[in-house]
Amino acid sequence: MSAHAENLIHDDAPGHEGHGALSENNFLGLPNIKLAMWAFLGSECMFFGSLIGTYFFYHGNSLGGPLPKDVFSIGITSISTFLLLMSSVTMALGVDAMKQQKPLTARTFILLTAALGATFVGFQVFEFHEFYTEKHLALSTSLFGSTFYTMTGFHGTHVTVGVIWLVIMSILITKKKLVPGKEAVNVEVMGLYWHFVDIVWIVIFTFVYLLEFLK
Amino acid sequence: MSHGHEVGTLPHSHKKQYIILGIVLSIVTFIELGIPLMKGSPEIWTAAKELWAPLLIVLSIFKFGAVVGDFMHLRSDFTLYKILFISPLFLAMFSFFAIGSLSVVHFQPFGKGYAITAQDLSDGYVPPTVGGGAEPPWADDKFEAAFVDAQKGGFAKGKETFTTSCANCHRADGGGMPGLGVNLTDVCYKHGGKIAALYTTISKGVSGTAMPAWQTSMDSEKLRQVAYYVHSLKGLNVAGGRDCEGPKE
Ligand code: HEC
Repeated sequence: MSAHAENLIHDDAPGHEGHGALSENNFLGLPNIKLAMWAFLGSECMFFGSLIGTYFFYHGNSLGGPLPKDVFSIGITSISTFLLLMSSVTMALGVDAMKQQKPLTARTFILLTAALGATFVGFQVFEFHEFYTEKHLALSTSLFGSTFYTMTGFHGTHVTVGVIWLVIMSILITKKKLVPGKEAVNVEVMGLYWHFVDIVWIVIFTFVYLLEFLK
Repeated sequence: MSHGHEVGTLPHSHKKQYIILGIVLSIVTFIELGIPLMKGSPEIWTAAKELWAPLLIVLSIFKFGAVVGDFMHLRSDFTLYKILFISPLFLAMFSFFAIGSLSVVHFQPFGKGYAITAQDLSDGYVPPTVGGGAEPPWADDKFEAAFVDAQKGGFAKGKETFTTSCANCHRADGGGMPGLGVNLTDVCYKHGGKIAALYTTISKGVSGTAMPAWQTSMDSEKLRQVAYYVHSLKGLNVAGGRDCEGPKE
């Protein structure tokens, strides 16, 4: 470990204590924080599974319009889908750079990921605004309105949380509170969360948007 | 699996793989987007009509697998992670399909509008009032046929029925005629103004008066449509209508 090891153990900063403890390995030799993230993502599968399932359960059963076809715009959704997909690439590159002991490169990719994520959220805000004001679709308009906004809204919230997390991590890297080596796992775990948010969108995009356009 | 913590033995970089995978995923996304656009060329579209949806699903499973397997490294990571993630994923898919099959039994999902039945009406179900006033902002020709029938066209048909079967007693605008049908555009109803009550009055008629029982000559759908229409007349108070009869609602 040599000189670098000194850098690793600097958990004296206030509010930073739990950090080192979380990155500790458990009795299996696996980092606790990573194990916890996979368990959390497992539960998230159930969470989004039920939201998407509910959307389909009520699909086509709205008593009033507008209907999905009336509000969806394939152009805007494709752009934001593409951005989110690309953010997964930058995220993976960021995690990779951190493992390669290149924190500044990692930070660049993390910030790029955050920017792509924020743009995605921006598109969603724009979309929701348009649906609400121009297409007259509110949360309480119909089963479609309720299930659609709940599902995509929760996804957007997850993206927003991810963006905040990414920004915080890049600040920590800048302040050298997060250094490569043992703590690279913290970035890796954030990456897991980010990729998960991306795969949820992969499912929503195909099942909610694209299949709608086939009919 | 190698989290090389030692300086000097850095883990192998996956940079190239990530970039290649990113390009592959972009191409897949473009293919996905192209599929709905195929509708533009009807020959290709209809040639493989049944294939498009499964193809989209397969492509999305591929993307899902690529991100989880390679970006998230699950493919080469510890089994415990796999168990933690994949078992709830299957549970989620299972409940998804369970709910899906339930919905087939209870509703008619994927396309058909929810047809309001006589049972719903007698249970006191009150559908949203459409018609009578201004057209709702979303009422344009983009609507699916089933929906149009249930809501907008349903009213048009109800109105049609009203004009042919009811107008000679209740007047074309529903204002009623002296000695014949009562005013249906006020807020007074002898037999109830809720949709369920209207449906019942129209189907069973009012014995001892001129109001016939329409269930002998109309099916439940027609009755439903005309009941909606009558319901939408409530409160219009057309000029020259008959005076209020029965309790106000
Ligand atoms: C032959 C004449 C006649 C025709 C045709 C007729 N009605 Fe009537 N309708 C009446 C009369 C008379 C009453 C009042 C009954 C009473 O006094 O209780 C009435 C009552 C009603 C009521 C109850 C109003 C209330 O105050 O509760 C409804 C609803 C109604 N008609 C709907 C219709 C519809 C819909 C049609 C066509 C499908 C129709 N009627 C056709 C004569 C007619």
